[in-house]
Amino acid sequence: MPSWQNFQPFLVIGLALGGVYALSGVGMVVLYRATGVLNLSFGAVGAMGALIAWQAINSWGLPQGIAWLICVAFAAVLTTLYGLVFGAALAKRDPVVKAVATLGLALILLGVMDLLWTTSGGASRSLTLPTDSSGFQISSLTVDWTQVISLGLGVALTFFTAIFLRVTRLGTAMRAMANDREITAMLGVPVTRVLAAAWFGCGVLAGVAGLLLADLVALDATTLTFLVISSLAAALIGQLRSIAVTFIAAIVIGVVDSMITPINSITNYRDMTPFVLAVIALLVLSGRSTVSLERGGI
Amino acid sequence: MATTEVQAPEAPGDGALQRQALRLRQLDTRARVRAVVVVVLLAFCLFPMPSILSLYYVGAMTQVTVYAIVALGLGVLVGRVGLVSLGQAAVLAMGAWVAARVLFATSLPYPLVLLIAGLVTMVLGTLVGLPALRMRGLYLALITLMLAGAISVVLATTNFPNGGGGFLGYNGNAVHTPPIRRPGIANSDPAFLRYSIVVAILMFLFVVWHLRTRPGRAWAAIRQSEASAVAAGINIVRYKLWAFALASFVTGVAGGLLAGADRYLYSIDFQTQDSITLLAVVLMGGIYSIWGAVIAALLLQLLPQLLNSWGVSPYWLTVLFGVGVLQVLTTAPAGIVDQMPRDLARLGRLLARPFRQAHPTGPAGGAQ
Amino acid sequence: MSKHVPLLGRSIAVLAVTIGAIAAVVFSTSGGVASAHKVVARTASSTSSCGPKPGHKATGKPIPVGAIDTKVPGTDFSDIENMEGAYFACVNANGGVKGHPIKLYALTEQITPASVSADAKKLVQTDHVVAVSGSSSIIECSVDYKYWQQQGYKVIADGIAPECYSTPNYADANMGPRFSSDGAAQYVESIPGVKKIVFDQSNVPGTAYNEGGIPPIAKLKGLPVQADTDNVPISNGDSVAERLVQEAGSTGAVVLNFTPPEALIILQAAQKLGIAANVKAWACSTPCDTDFLASSLGSVWNNKLFVNAELTPPDPTHTPTMNLYEAILKQYGKDVSGGIGSFSQMGFVDGEILVHALNNVKGAYTKKAVNKAIENVHQFNTGMLCAPWTYGPYKLHIANHIDYTVTPNNGKMVIKQGCTKISAADPLMEAYYKAIGQ
Repeated sequence: MPSWQNFQPFLVIGLALGGVYALSGVGMVVLYRATGVLNLSFGAVGAMGALIAWQAINSWGLPQGIAWLICVAFAAVLTTLYGLVFGAALAKRDPVVKAVATLGLALILLGVMDLLWTTSGGASRSLTLPTDSSGFQISSLTVDWTQVISLGLGVALTFFTAIFLRVTRLGTAMRAMANDREITAMLGVPVTRVLAAAWFGCGVLAGVAGLLLADLVALDATTLTFLVISSLAAALIGQLRSIAVTFIAAIVIGVVDSMITPINSITNYRDMTPFVLAVIALLVLSGRSTVSLERGGI
Repeated sequence: MATTEVQAPEAPGDGALQRQALRLRQLDTRARVRAVVVVVLLAFCLFPMPSILSLYYVGAMTQVTVYAIVALGLGVLVGRVGLVSLGQAAVLAMGAWVAARVLFATSLPYPLVLLIAGLVTMVLGTLVGLPALRMRGLYLALITLMLAGAISVVLATTNFPNGGGGFLGYNGNAVHTPPIRRPGIANSDPAFLRYSIVVAILMFLFVVWHLRTRPGRAWAAIRQSEASAVAAGINIVRYKLWAFALASFVTGVAGGLLAGADRYLYSIDFQTQDSITLLAVVLMGGIYSIWGAVIAALLLQLLPQLLNSWGVSPYWLTVLFGVGVLQVLTTAPAGIVDQMPRDLARLGRLLARPFRQAHPTGPAGGAQ
Repeated sequence: MSKHVPLLGRSIAVLAVTIGAIAAVVFSTSGGVASAHKVVARTASSTSSCGPKPGHKATGKPIPVGAIDTKVPGTDFSDIENMEGAYFACVNANGGVKGHPIKLYALTEQITPASVSADAKKLVQTDHVVAVSGSSSIIECSVDYKYWQQQGYKVIADGIAPECYSTPNYADANMGPRFSSDGAAQYVESIPGVKKIVFDQSNVPGTAYNEGGIPPIAKLKGLPVQADTDNVPISNGDSVAERLVQEAGSTGAVVLNFTPPEALIILQAAQKLGIAANVKAWACSTPCDTDFLASSLGSVWNNKLFVNAELTPPDPTHTPTMNLYEAILKQYGKDVSGGIGSFSQMGFVDGEILVHALNNVKGAYTKKAVNKAIENVHQFNTGMLCAPWTYGPYKLHIANHIDYTVTPNNGKMVIKQGCTKISAADPLMEAYYKAIGQ
């Protein structure tokens, strides 16, 4: 067992990763509350954006800033298009159906990424952000700015979203739609525009999270696509409702995952952290059984 | 349905009765024809097909058979009961693991091993389903996704049995991994294909039996409206568990077959993505008909081998499955098994139209 | 359901696929998507020296040969068989094998036993190959070794699994993860001041086999060994790098055995966290020996990272064989997306060995004759390996057991230590040396 001194770097690393999980988790929860869609293609969209950014920097020779903008713009546009077309087509269906549909989008993107960015010949791509190389010291620890930004963005987003939903008109409209879409429409709220805004916001977050995760974790299509499961676990612990709980859960998942790494007896099971925490939380929090009034399933 | 001649009724209602009787007899005929077709197809698959096909395609069809059983289980869960499971690949892995362990550790006959694999998987699957069933459909789907992920992480460390000792039966130092044994009567690839087809037929019959009797009716009621089902006195939790148990059992048996088919098992073959692709093809095949399971298995296991032999990248299939999911969910929930005959019929009518227009047949024409 | 919805749904699906296809075409024609890695031929070397009759196309009865490579996202060895195909194309364009062209059936598999054994059956039953050369797969050796033995094929492979190095019917152009890790450990323990070895590898089947040679080799210098595994794909490289550095300490050495992308994640994390210099040395088995890796690492790794190289590094080498390799890559190697590197080199070597064997066949090119000729390959100088290569009638084959050590130097790999034998302290290596009479 390492000493507390040796655990500290893992704490910092875990906080940074947790911050990005929070970014994704909060994004998914807000979208779910506004549209009823749990966007499981969040990771895939971000991954493709990151790969396009890589392409822009390494093959097309564009400056980094432009590449990042392309990434975020791509993610935002793709997500909004999906939301407007398939979100509308599936609006009246069960949440399961809407979530499985986003899995369809994720599969399409995965296939496209595997086709366009092959990994033959030992090729490995990496995306580094300029904030990687500068940092500061806390006691014996080196903390780089990317990690600070990741955690900072996660915190900022949580606060901003909470305030946004409560204070602004658009936010209130989103909360109203989560409650009851029909009545909201009758009250004269421009439903399509609110939906589009929610999807657009989710897409922007997917792009940003994609860039950060590509830097913090790896620029690999499959890894980034399925990394969404960690954020999903956080969102589940928040019961797809509470942004604050999602944030805390995301941080905890990131930290626990990281802190387990140096413990050799269980280190290979650390990838189970999001799953175990989510299942425990769900079992504890889910409470009474519910009987649905509508036709279930597909 | 063709129009028929109707004789002058002798009493009010007689004509309608006669028409109804005729229609029933026609349905009977259609069902009988369909049954004959099915039996002929199965006989073909069982007897000549394994000998005709090259070993490359015998292997592919064995995989199709195994995954048809898995797709059957998932189809029942999703289509008949309305429970979406995103973790069936992990359940399959469990069945394969149990079968492999028993096959290496004992010399029990193969059918018994399949039964053991099915039963153990059934118990584990039901245990998993138990707490999850209290939750809404979306949470259930996500829990199965989480659990599947957890199991694949555990598998990566414990690995599949390879003839070693101890509980896990994994010998990390092996330089010659022994293959998992096959049934004595079915050692060659074509013979094992026949064996698998027989097991698959048994599993299909088992599931159909469930669908036609009380559990099937209860599931239909639950899917229609849980509240009405409760009002009708159906114990929802018990029947949902029953569905989980059935799906896990058949998937466990399929896992046992997979162990014999593959002869070497690797944890990389049971990832989260595999569960998702499985759901995708089951949706595409058609969740409301048991034949959809066969189509799903053909999409999942035959299509990649075809593409491989033509030199086409298998990544196109991932895209196809994604498009298929979106298409099925938005427009054709009954999948290919339902859509294809209708599309073909429509195509047939389209092609026949010029001929019909040239030879109009009486007042009714061909209008339907 | 209203009539226009199905139409809408289907049109959307078609539209999506069309857009995807257009994107694919646009991307692939805009100068290559996958790699920013370009093939640079140093001299306008002609490729005609690959065959006996320069300029004459071989038009006799084709000799069918097969290969099975892993191809899944993240683990793609198809460059090996594609390069071998390029080599054969060159040979066929310049006289072939005594006038016969070689037809390569290059199959891929998805790391499932079903696809691996199906591929093997297809090669034998449908394609009627007389030899198998250029196979490189995570599991093929384990799944097919009995089949090749039954069918009488002497396979030339680039192996990973234990069965590739412990059965009579496989001999490899490469060294495999166990012996390559041995070589890496052997080098770092010779660095003065190294007092501990920490070994880390990907948690895929075969970890105990891969790490099995390190403790006896470390025992030569009395060093303790800590053997770890990490699940791949690695999702927290920072933590892994930090853990390895802590375990090794300032007098330790870290030895990695991962595929290039995963190894790169760990190394870049160590570089980013500023902890690369906190251990005495880093080492890597042969997958790290690529220019991709070298150009992605900073100068902190010069003379700090030592990679066991199973193949002669291309950059500092200017022999006729190396020039030929690069020329063939340029002229015929359009499918070889990795360019110059160990994968394409292995494919080249596999092709060389096979053609050498074929040229020694007297009479008809039957399966029996060809595989006998392969078994009889003895002390063949490939020009890409440290030592001449032998198949031989042995019960096991570790044909490539002498290797270089390279280190990155500002974006390229340079030779740090010349050809060194893998130590007989590894009992499996000892068994092989005994079998070949050394």
